[in-house]
Amino acid sequence: MSDFLIHVASIACIYGMLALSLNLQMGFTGLVNFGLIALFGCGIYGAALAHVMGWPLIAGLAAALVMAGLLGLFFARLGRRLSSDYWGIATLSIAEVIRITVMNESWTGGAQGISGLTLLFGDLRPWDGLARLGLFALALFATYLLCEKLVRSRFGLAMKLMREEPQLARALGHDINGIRARVMLISAAIAAVAGVLYAHYLTFVGPDQLVSADTFLIWSMVIVGGIANNRGVVVGAVLMQFAMAFVPFAKDLLGLPTDFVAAARLILVGGGILLFLLLKPQGLLPERVGAGK
Amino acid sequence: MIEAKELRAGYGDGADILHGVSLNAHAREIVTILGPNGCGKSTLLKTIAGYVIPRAGQVLIDGMDAGHIPIQRKVRHNRVGYVPQTDNVFGTLTVAENLRLGAALLPRAERTARFEELLAAYPALAGKLNRKASALSGGERQVLSLVRALMPRPQILLLDEPSAGLSPLMMHEVFDAIAEVRDKHDLCILMVEQNAFEALGVADRAYVLALGKVALTAPAKDLLKDPAMRQLYLGGEIEAA
Repeated sequence: MSDFLIHVASIACIYGMLALSLNLQMGFTGLVNFGLIALFGCGIYGAALAHVMGWPLIAGLAAALVMAGLLGLFFARLGRRLSSDYWGIATLSIAEVIRITVMNESWTGGAQGISGLTLLFGDLRPWDGLARLGLFALALFATYLLCEKLVRSRFGLAMKLMREEPQLARALGHDINGIRARVMLISAAIAAVAGVLYAHYLTFVGPDQLVSADTFLIWSMVIVGGIANNRGVVVGAVLMQFAMAFVPFAKDLLGLPTDFVAAARLILVGGGILLFLLLKPQGLLPERVGAGK
Repeated sequence: MIEAKELRAGYGDGADILHGVSLNAHAREIVTILGPNGCGKSTLLKTIAGYVIPRAGQVLIDGMDAGHIPIQRKVRHNRVGYVPQTDNVFGTLTVAENLRLGAALLPRAERTARFEELLAAYPALAGKLNRKASALSGGERQVLSLVRALMPRPQILLLDEPSAGLSPLMMHEVFDAIAEVRDKHDLCILMVEQNAFEALGVADRAYVLALGKVALTAPAKDLLKDPAMRQLYLGGEIEAA
């Protein structure tokens, strides 16, 4: 049981980083990104392709950051010409195009994916699981501190102004294209690091890890936890991840068929989003309002 | 101070809305742009501000071509202030926070002094510093957005329908505040307005647009008496020049 809890907590830490990344975009800057999973994909495939090439882990991390950065800038560039809603649809479409491309290309391992990546702390058995959890928790905490510092800075204020009234933000001298590009770069870097950690945790990478349903799982973490509250989205990530992990136990308890697990997880995500948007739109920990510095 | 020469502009791939508009405004004067709905008043102001890039013609600020400079750079480098028609305050922030956003464009050492200076000049805001901007009345919001625009010491102020959605009493207060701004701060104010007679009451000169062209231009006092002007605003139309 403890291995199981360590596993769920490890995944929760990685998803917590992704939720913080989405929160920077959607929560603080108003960038409705439905293609976050593609930035995460740059992380996992950066690590996997580096493995195939025989490069060290650090080179995989660098490749992941470059790929995610370029994709993030491409997303930001699209935002110059598209309004918020259309931009969201465009990001979702691009994420799907990337997933389908990855699934059909041989150099990405196709539908079979790429396996055999180095397991982080694999030589520390039997304490490797705890060591990984420690690393992931540290990465989550560092990401949290980075996001907090960012949103409390003058740049963070500019992000919120862009979210509230983008045209008025421009009238106050803020370059909203520049803000969008910087936010996308930082968020992409966070998602890429999360992807590298994930790839070297599961030691397998495949197109199934890029499905858009996972983007909406991350959205549910942000909405449940509290949009534009970094502490809230970490709480949301942990809650949602543990809820997802305990669905199989509920199935056994209620004597339901195996198909129930996949369906119940989707219902949990959709239902969670709907329930909170209707009944508690500010989430469990609401945004702290104010101009900051 | 500010000059538009033969401006042509429109949105996206659509037809031109401005068909060669020319105007000018100088320091210590209020110039108002009037005209019926859809004549291109706001588009003209947005083109001068830098929200819309002109398809032809020039926008000159102190003789320098600024037509292709976006609003955020004009605000930072050309001492231009812009107050939009709607959504002109950050409702979730307090009055003080809104004002500090304007002061943020100044060097750090000057911010507090400028903040105090403008609060002394506009005492109505001083008593409401900790109130959320969303809790202010329409007139108070306009004054707040006006004072915030003054924070970075602009030399040109662009106002897009400052009286939009205000009651007649509040409208008077806002126009009085605008006249006060010209007199106290020696500004060049370019103001788009629907309420022609109120705007002409405080303006020095006026341009009347019709169908994207300048149809009339005259000192504000003369326009108040002009029968064509009365025809335009009290019934009937005038043709573009």
